[in-house]
Amino acid sequence: MTGAASTAGQATGFDATTPRAALGYSVYRRFVDGIWHVEGSLPLAPGQSVDDTFERLDPLFLETGTTHERTGDTLSFQKEGQAAQDKMAVFDRGTLRVEHGTTGLVLRYRLASRALLFCFLAPLLFLAFAQATIVLGKFEKARTEAKGKKPEVKKPPVVLNPIDKALGAPEPDPPKKKSKKDEDDKKPSPTPGYVFAGIFAALYAVGRVLEDRRIRRLFRKRLLGI
Amino acid sequence: MSGVRVGKRVIGAQAPVIVGWENIPKVQGGPAKQFFFTWFQPTMLFALIAFWFYAPNSIAKASTAIGIGIGFKMLLLGLEWLAPRHDSWRLTWKELTTDLFYVGLGYTVLRMIDGYIGDGAMIEAIQHSFDWEKFAWFTGLPLLVQALMISLVFDFGQYWMHRGMHNWHPLWLAHAPHHYITQLNINKGAVGNPVELFLIGLGVGGFFDFVPRAALLAGSFGLAVGTYQHINVRFNSPRWWRFLFNTTEHHSVHHSQDYEASRSNYSNTWVIIDRVFGTCVDGEAELLGMEGGRPMSVRETMTYTFTEGWKSIKERFGRRPSGNMASAPMVPAE
Repeated sequence: MTGAASTAGQATGFDATTPRAALGYSVYRRFVDGIWHVEGSLPLAPGQSVDDTFERLDPLFLETGTTHERTGDTLSFQKEGQAAQDKMAVFDRGTLRVEHGTTGLVLRYRLASRALLFCFLAPLLFLAFAQATIVLGKFEKARTEAKGKKPEVKKPPVVLNPIDKALGAPEPDPPKKKSKKDEDDKKPSPTPGYVFAGIFAALYAVGRVLEDRRIRRLFRKRLLGI
Repeated sequence: MSGVRVGKRVIGAQAPVIVGWENIPKVQGGPAKQFFFTWFQPTMLFALIAFWFYAPNSIAKASTAIGIGIGFKMLLLGLEWLAPRHDSWRLTWKELTTDLFYVGLGYTVLRMIDGYIGDGAMIEAIQHSFDWEKFAWFTGLPLLVQALMISLVFDFGQYWMHRGMHNWHPLWLAHAPHHYITQLNINKGAVGNPVELFLIGLGVGGFFDFVPRAALLAGSFGLAVGTYQHINVRFNSPRWWRFLFNTTEHHSVHHSQDYEASRSNYSNTWVIIDRVFGTCVDGEAELLGMEGGRPMSVRETMTYTFTEGWKSIKERFGRRPSGNMASAPMVPAE
């Protein structure tokens, strides 16, 4: 377990010292905490020191709205009101630590993103809107039935202007009595709610993978130049 | 920064704004690219008009219009990705997600509320107490005339609502969050406080009885012209286009960090309305937003109108400490 994990464990009051608890913690960390946290590691180039590593990463933490603090081999940062084009805009806080790996120094990072959490929860919100539409629809139906049918506003038949006729526009359909299907079409539909729930679920899946890769690529470019 | 005098105003004294069409950069690249980005806008507009004019009644429906709208926006998102106007306006995952959240609100909860208190509900309430056959003459006009009238009447209403938002503090409080956007992308038009989205959607179009096809034709102007207000793509818009229609350039001036520039180009589709009322500024800006480009979070966007409204009410009607009048910060509505 990394130091960052221990810190997170302490923060949540979770004792991960027993094997069973450790397993539970890793499941929690992967499937719950992992919803809005991105973590990873990057082996550093041979001979690259801790100071050199943080010096290369430093410009990333000089962006507007970013504060950072370095103590020894650990850098922690916080972002508030980050600019849209900030390369780390999707993250709000995080910790980067240089540790000794099996083959040399390794940069380990753990970053939190409220945007990912928001996107993960957004489908629930839109599903709630869809359900609210259904409930309101039922309420409206009962109210309309209690009130009785409104008199229809009589509309004269529409005649196409001769210019449009000459240009070949199709004649409009003659006015027909409103059918039940027409009435149903006018009722608020839960479909947009379901569609947006699906869109945000897809956006979350894409964002979780994309932002993970993007930050890894960004760190690699800064540290190794590739 | 000295700025440029436009009529009685000095534009660009607080933040960089390019004034004058002759100073705006053109699309760079080979002849094929230049041809595409010169003719794309008029071709799409005329193609849409022809489609809605000749489509059979079974196709000329609102559901088709929604489908075309989504497809067109996807195409424009692709153009933003392939040929961005400014790198500083690049659409990121976070920006796209945030923008789509507001779009989603518009299609769901706002539509629900609008059904009860929007213009449609208001018009329906009074339609039963008036002889609306007096307006039937409208349906006898040529389709394109009807479409132009619907589009112009709606845009005329939007112009004054928008101008009101920049000149009357209570309305400004609803509109201000939209001005905190720092870049223009396809869905940025939806970003804002729900109160504003409700207000800007109010129109008198519902009073007119028109051929449904005319409404679909009028929608073509909104889709194939109004959409370009918020887009990160550079087009070589023809001279007649930029004279009649609002463009990305016009709208970027409206969103610029320069106070005077932000009080221009209020129309949604027909910038000629701005020309008539003397509020048009031809130009463009890259540096957008308020308070030096401070981004506004979703939470603040949702609450700003109410929290700032409460503060304003307290300032105006609450007890003031005697002899100590704190000066309020200058905002565009003052």
